[in-house]
Amino acid sequence: MDESDEYVPPTSNQLQQPLPIIKTRFPVARIKKIMQADDDIGKVAQATPLVVAKALELFMISLVQESCNQARMRNAKRVSPAHLKQAVLSTEQFDFLAETVGKYPDAVAVSGNKPEPGTGPGRGRRRKVVD
Amino acid sequence: MSDREALSSDDLSLPKATVQKIVSEIIPPDLVFSRETRDALIECCVEFIGLISTQSNDIAEGEAKKTIASEHVIKALQELGFADYIEPIREVIQEHKETQKGRERKVGKFEASGMTEEELLRKQEELFGLARSKLNQEGGASA
Repeated sequence: MDESDEYVPPTSNQLQQPLPIIKTRFPVARIKKIMQADDDIGKVAQATPLVVAKALELFMISLVQESCNQARMRNAKRVSPAHLKQAVLSTEQFDFLAETVGKYPDAVAVSGNKPEPGTGPGRGRRRKVVD
Repeated sequence: MSDREALSSDDLSLPKATVQKIVSEIIPPDLVFSRETRDALIECCVEFIGLISTQSNDIAEGEAKKTIASEHVIKALQELGFADYIEPIREVIQEHKETQKGRERKVGKFEASGMTEEELLRKQEELFGLARSKLNQEGGASA
């Protein structure tokens, strides 16, 4: 009855430098609305949605870049939801998204790498295989 | 846009066109993001905002503060494992402060002068006249 993790997540994803300079801005008012759609969230200071927008930009850069890596590893030209899912599952920082991406298909295994964690029908990260 | 209607957190999302533009600024020229992937990305972004908001809110409440401030967001990022975001964010905060300061200073000067716009304009003409005559005198002397 081995309780050890089926996969070891790599160290938390550091932003790949140099950072791309993004000219397009997120709508700050919309971000504030999204924040306050949660009833628990009360007032926010003026700078706060700006700060969250910046964090979101960095998050997007990180997730998009990792998704691209996953696509490249499989010689794909189109980055698919499966690649994004794999990016999430292989990055500790993105653990909170595991449930969100659960509905997307798993990516194909990449030869020469560690076996894909939890791929294959009916096997999720949290389920244990009972012998 | 139906912004005035009550929106549940399910309806509220990021504009697809904006997200697509940002994605194209990030990805290398030989790759393409499918529409589905972009939509999946948007879902993840909304989750991220929720995560940061909830954590920041908890931190603010822990400090008995009713308003979520930038510092609360920074602590939240630290706690959630996004410490590498903090430095760029501090720059944003600094820029914001300077923009605010600039605005306040402009108002301050005008108010502090205690003069109307016409009076200020007249004063300016006076000073120009003075400067012109000074120039002429100096010009004459060095010739």
